[in-house]
Amino acid sequence: MGEIRILRVLDPFQSVFRKMNIDYGVMRKILEVKLTMDQRRIPTILSQNAKKKEGNQFLKSLWIYALYGLLLVPFVFLGDNYLFQVSIMAGIAMFILMTSMISDFSSVLLDVRDKVILHTKPVHTRTINAAKILHIAIYLTLLTGAFIAIPAIVFLFVEGFLFFLLFVITILLIDLFVLAFTALIYMFVLQFFDGEKLKDIINYVQIILAVAVVVGYQIIIRLFDVVGLEYVYDYSWWHVLIPPVWFGAPFELVLNQNYSSEIIILSLLAVFGPILSIFLYYLLMPSFERNLQKLMEESSTKKRKKRSLNDLFEKVVCFSREEKIFYRFASIMISRERDFKLKVYPSLGMALVFPLIFLFNNLSYQSFEELGQGRSFLTIYFTNIIVGTVVYMVQFSAKYKGAWVFQTTPIQKQTLVYSATLKAFYMKLYLPIILVLSILYIWIFSFRIVPDLLAVIVTALLLILIAYKLFNNGKYPFTEPIESAQQGGGATGKIIVMMLIVAAFTIIHLIISFIPYAIYIYLGLLIVLTVVLWKIIFK
Amino acid sequence: MNEKVLSLQNLTMSYSGKDVLNGINLDVYRGQIIGYIGPNGAGKSTTLKVMLGLVEGYGGTVEIFGKSIATNDHIYKHKIGYVPENAEIYDNLTAAEYLTFIGELYGLKRDEATTKALKLLDEFDMGDVFHSRISSYSKGMRQKVLIISSLLHNPDLIFLDEPLSGLDANSVMVIKDMLEALANQGKTIFYSSHIMDVVEKISNRIVLLVNGEIAADGSFDDLKEQSKAGSLEGIFNQLTGFDEHKETAEKIVSIVTWDGQDG
Repeated sequence: MGEIRILRVLDPFQSVFRKMNIDYGVMRKILEVKLTMDQRRIPTILSQNAKKKEGNQFLKSLWIYALYGLLLVPFVFLGDNYLFQVSIMAGIAMFILMTSMISDFSSVLLDVRDKVILHTKPVHTRTINAAKILHIAIYLTLLTGAFIAIPAIVFLFVEGFLFFLLFVITILLIDLFVLAFTALIYMFVLQFFDGEKLKDIINYVQIILAVAVVVGYQIIIRLFDVVGLEYVYDYSWWHVLIPPVWFGAPFELVLNQNYSSEIIILSLLAVFGPILSIFLYYLLMPSFERNLQKLMEESSTKKRKKRSLNDLFEKVVCFSREEKIFYRFASIMISRERDFKLKVYPSLGMALVFPLIFLFNNLSYQSFEELGQGRSFLTIYFTNIIVGTVVYMVQFSAKYKGAWVFQTTPIQKQTLVYSATLKAFYMKLYLPIILVLSILYIWIFSFRIVPDLLAVIVTALLLILIAYKLFNNGKYPFTEPIESAQQGGGATGKIIVMMLIVAAFTIIHLIISFIPYAIYIYLGLLIVLTVVLWKIIFK
Repeated sequence: MNEKVLSLQNLTMSYSGKDVLNGINLDVYRGQIIGYIGPNGAGKSTTLKVMLGLVEGYGGTVEIFGKSIATNDHIYKHKIGYVPENAEIYDNLTAAEYLTFIGELYGLKRDEATTKALKLLDEFDMGDVFHSRISSYSKGMRQKVLIISSLLHNPDLIFLDEPLSGLDANSVMVIKDMLEALANQGKTIFYSSHIMDVVEKISNRIVLLVNGEIAADGSFDDLKEQSKAGSLEGIFNQLTGFDEHKETAEKIVSIVTWDGQDG
């Protein structure tokens, strides 16, 4: 176990930890072990090209956050309405930090292995918890560092030192807030539900979060009336409930010398909100730990589910007995496996939400009727972007060791395992989302877009095939350890390629839409192409 | 021999409304090897978890080394060793790293922990894999690492939850003799298992748990006299009220060999 350099940063603060009754030496050891483990990946057992991946995948994925950081830069050129600019930026930052908290650090917060290994040792719970918080905080700091590096430098030069300083402090406060807030959500859920439920609910939290972003974005925009090119802020009491607005206020206070009472209230919230939430988290920690044991309990036996609908799908989309078996297996895996869902559901949330964000964006310069006549329905292609990510993810499973059954049982056509899995993804995850969106879109754009929507849905199948060829080299799905599927890791490049392919399809569709009736020919071509390709690939 | 190491008074525990332990009273004395047996789901592991402070919300009192664990904070764990049932282990560490870490948590110095761990592993002929990842180990090797991790700090009270799973016959013999020798030195061992003949041989006191209550408590000879069965297995069947193993087995075989057609 090599020396973990980052821990040296903590050493000067030893006395602070001691004052809080935390055994610094032990805490440091726990952190050392945890960080060492993060650097190691379990070698894969079934894949043929078993390249051992060493090194911390998380650190390698940091650059993607640096890219996200670029998103913040344009806002600084919006003039000096700091409240508006910073609220939007804080909103984006909170969203990105929160999503990565939930998808990447839930496993740290909810690790029950710690209970058996650490809590049976003579170490105070406080020390273990401190190690847990710091473990997350270290990553959150690195992530934030990568995220704000570029914007911070731009701000330093464009807006001056004071803005830069405020920006850095604000981001740190946002970090604290996000960390505490996520943990508090979990506490709240654990208080009322049992372990199995919690695992499900965590997944739903991610979707809710994604939806909250759209709603939040709309709300923040609407807080400001556009008068000419100026955004005029109009205070109402309920704005104190929208955290991103808090963080805009100090900028207005300090840089624009706006000393009105509402700005002062919001600024105070920006400082004390995060501090209070961390304090609350600290107070509630013991009860959280107590409730965490629910994760280890076996839940009561459930009634057998009715399976009529799924049975029907199975008959429609699968053509052989073997394929049906794997379809059933894969549907259970993708709907049950917690770690898989943790990684995939946020993308599903985005798939649902992104088309709407871009659609409603148009509303700011179009009326509803104008929108309904136009070609904005093509925004639904944003949903197809997730296809690549999900197809990439079906290689992985937390229970990848169970995959020995694929090798010991007499499977006749091995390719069927994958084709059935992809079909299951399409039926169980993709279709429900696109159907919901389609209903909404048909309501907005009328029935004239039905053939277009069909083209989108068929394109998704084609994309599945392309993504499969691009990403999945393994023979069977669910055979790679999920730890090695760190988001934004090695596959990022390919995922970007997938996005470009989706963009290409969108452009083709746009061109087609200018030619009368061409859409029917296009749809026909897509169907033939998909069927033929599917046959060839899964021969 | 009369020093009381562990005392459970009217211990109760329920998980989400379901009672798992219904009032357990048990005093354990220094040097005893308690064989803790019972059918699946009787509450054996739960008892262990309560005593180790892994679960909260139990009823009654648990006293270890004469002090209630509710008031005693974590200090009492210094003299306890534990082998968990599910072989939970940070398996992307090497044995050297894992054992040193655990030793340090128990208060050993780093070098001391490493040296002791290597010496112990050597005794199990595993010295050569000291610096390999635990994830590459076989089940038996993992189990040995877990057993060593529970002994590094020379504990006075050792909780073992199915400690022999995956071990080969030779290692089982080593562990059996080791436990006996430890008990002779005044260590107390709490041994929970399903393997009856091992329990029968090593324990000097057997506690049988059925439905969260103690159904029998005494030496093997006591139990034999009580139930007139020749083996612990027989006693176990009798006290848990199970006498249909032959019928069940036959039924299972008939289901396995059933060819799908009636008649």
